[in-house]
Amino acid sequence: MLDERELAIHPIVQESVQQNARTIANIRNLTASLFGVAAGTLGLESYPGFIFYLLGTLVVSVLILLLRAEGKPKAYFYSPVQNLLLGEVFGGLSSFVLTWTLFYGLVRA
Amino acid sequence: MALLSKALNAIGLLLLAHAVYSAHEHSALHAGAPSTSQAPSTTAALPLDITLETLTSVFLVCAGLVLGSPALRPIQWSEWAGEVEQEEGRQRQGRGKAGMKEGEGVGNPFRMLEERPGFVDVRAKRKEFADWVREGGSR
Repeated sequence: MLDERELAIHPIVQESVQQNARTIANIRNLTASLFGVAAGTLGLESYPGFIFYLLGTLVVSVLILLLRAEGKPKAYFYSPVQNLLLGEVFGGLSSFVLTWTLFYGLVRA
Repeated sequence: MALLSKALNAIGLLLLAHAVYSAHEHSALHAGAPSTSQAPSTTAALPLDITLETLTSVFLVCAGLVLGSPALRPIQWSEWAGEVEQEEGRQRQGRGKAGMKEGEGVGNPFRMLEERPGFVDVRAKRKEFADWVREGGSR
């Protein structure tokens, strides 16, 4: 009830929410394959590789927070933790694994 | 901003390509030479400089990508509407009625109300027409 009332007083622009989510997803997809290249080059295997990916996404989240959201995640995301920190992290996992294995095989032929 | 992001991307990708090539050469070198003690010697550890170069280049490209991405939009209706209004005002002062930049904004949801014939800026229209006549007279 409280939430509904809050939304009625401070309405949210749906288009902006979608646009922001799309921007975040775009950045995540591009950086995921980039991290795959790095992980393959460094020759990481099994768990360290996935930990590397998680650390990388954390760094990207911080970069977005500082450079794009100007340190005010509340103004740009409805639920900052869910959209900014966790948003699309697992969507990029497949492209990460793809480039990871590709570059691991290429470098250590 | 666009220039900075492009420069960061270019430098980062160049460094990344160099790092990957170095790592490849390193592993090729160690695969050819017979190892001293243990026979198979699972590819000697990557030198520190290649590791650092890889990490730095990835960070640079990430920063470039984030800087190059389109700006986020405020989700609070009040802030967003304020931005849209300011943008519209700036455009109207600049030159008559100019369309929003493509893909830049959603546009003013109240444009229909703002641009009713009664509210058309007649002087701007007249100036526009005069300019058009001056230009098109020769044609």
